[in-house]
Amino acid sequence: MDTWKALNGYIRHFAIDRVYRFFYYVETVAKGELLGEFEHLVLLAVLRLAGDAYGMRVRREIAHRTGRDVSIGAVYATLDRLAAKGLISSSLSDPTPERGGRAKRSFRVTGAGFDAVNRTRQELANMLEGLEFPTFGAVR
Amino acid sequence: MKPPLLARALLAAVAGDAEADCIAGDLYEEFTYLARTCSRYGVSRWYFSQVIRSVLPLLKLRVRSGELGGAILGATLGVALPLLLLDQLWRLVYSEIPLKDGLDRAPGFLAVNVSLVCICSAVNGFRARSERQAAFTALASICAAGAALWISTGSTPAAYALLVLLLAPVSSILSYVLRLRRPV
Repeated sequence: MDTWKALNGYIRHFAIDRVYRFFYYVETVAKGELLGEFEHLVLLAVLRLAGDAYGMRVRREIAHRTGRDVSIGAVYATLDRLAAKGLISSSLSDPTPERGGRAKRSFRVTGAGFDAVNRTRQELANMLEGLEFPTFGAVR
Repeated sequence: MKPPLLARALLAAVAGDAEADCIAGDLYEEFTYLARTCSRYGVSRWYFSQVIRSVLPLLKLRVRSGELGGAILGATLGVALPLLLLDQLWRLVYSEIPLKDGLDRAPGFLAVNVSLVCICSAVNGFRARSERQAAFTALASICAAGAALWISTGSTPAAYALLVLLLAPVSSILSYVLRLRRPV
């Protein structure tokens, strides 16, 4: 039975998981540490919430500051992508009654995450430099 | 007050093992918070809308993490491919027998197909790590078996098709349950 267990683990690890993780890795690494628009928002929300950033609070923070009503699934998908890029790290807390006995995954920005935010902010500032914008509603 | 059962079931079905618990907890927390100020209908509608809008991103996440991909690959290679290869083998066998070419497959041949589907689905189910994965593996087995039956060249009597489509998920789930019950 141990041989079967080892063989099963080998097939799962090398033949199936590796193939999919390879494509996932290629997809995420190909983009480098450049942040997409929503990734940028999520990373900034995690940064703002400091030590207490978890899915629903990130969602609320984005909704509060940008007026966007995003879904919790989209937030988690983005958090997972950011974690795969090494820009955030996560930790699981103990289940609590106010969460219906479920655990909470908290996120925090890593050093690479700070670098990515700074780089994106710098790029944006460079692009905006010298541009003059008409006020809202002035251009039709 | 509890979130709508249907929405909770949908969330449990689409969310991956790593996220399901956390997302359900997050939504529950917000649900109880909103329930203090909103009507029951309003807060249920909010919960439903969150779950429905999360379906696509969560499925995408599961495919990316390899969780769904593994089940789909397992079902394709473990159920559809053997069925199609057997179909080709029977086709070759029939073409070698005078006056048999083009005739319906004998029950014995179909029984071999059904047995193979059961064994392959059971192996796939045995590999599942959680109930969620076992359920998805079973679903993938149905789809793979259905696709193989659709593509296969030989005749597919209704009873045979039904048996394949029924036994594929059942053997998959059964092997998962047996693995759980196996003494460590």
